Amino acid sequence: MGKNVLLVDDSSTMRKIVGRSLRQAGLDFDNIFEAADGLEALALLEKEKVDVILTDINMPNMDGISFLREKAGRDAIKGIPAFVISTETGDDIIGEAKSLGALGAIKKPFTPEKVNEVLGALA
Amino acid sequence: MEISEQLAAAVAEIFSTMIMMDVTVVQTAPERTSTFTDSISGVIGLAGTQKGVLALHFPVPVALAVTSSFLGMEVAELGPDVEDAIGELANMLGGSVKTMLTDKGRDIQLSMPTTISGGHYDFQSLNDALRHALGFHTDAGDFLVELQLER
Repeated sequence: MGKNVLLVDDSSTMRKIVGRSLRQAGLDFDNIFEAADGLEALALLEKEKVDVILTDINMPNMDGISFLREKAGRDAIKGIPAFVISTETGDDIIGEAKSLGALGAIKKPFTPEKVNEVLGALA
Repeated sequence: MEISEQLAAAVAEIFSTMIMMDVTVVQTAPERTSTFTDSISGVIGLAGTQKGVLALHFPVPVALAVTSSFLGMEVAELGPDVEDAIGELANMLGGSVKTMLTDKGRDIQLSMPTTISGGHYDFQSLNDALRHALGFHTDAGDFLVELQLER
């Protein structure tokens, strides 16, 4: 069975760029789902099978940290590997994201090679 | 390294890695401008230990070329795609500015990016702000980046 990825970012431009970078990095996901904030992501996770999550931090409605906190509290989705992809890669924020289950972080701007380096083993 | 030099390096990195466009600094201290014509500005606020505003000002043709290259598809008119792309550029540069100003970006918060566009609009400067501004050149035309920091 193929794998699905969920991109959580309020910028539609960035969701397109990340999707393109995944393909350029040779990471062959069957489906690339998109959500504009944490609330949309949680709603989508109730309906779709997702294998990997890439989430921004600064988003309206529900930011990335709140999303990761919600995800960590829900048995059905807490085990899905999640990564931060954000301009926010300070030790304090990434430390908090990791304490909530994030496995790593990609700083914007990024290259497909960086995406492959961080996510390669999971695709 | 001076803030202006770091700003130039950050803009060049964003354009080379994400937009696939070459940019060169053509003005290191452009004249203060508050009125823009047929342009779009991406704006992000800084709060915390360092308060200020970061703005990127693009004439519409340059914004269209940047967005087209960013998205990998032709974008012919100002609209949500251009506003989102220019806002995201401000967001990415804002992240770099945080890192420039504090140890690993601690103690500075970024606002959500916003855009202003139109045939004629004013962008007011902060009172008594320290201003770092740079003019950049691309094959599609020139644009301006300015960082205003409260003293």
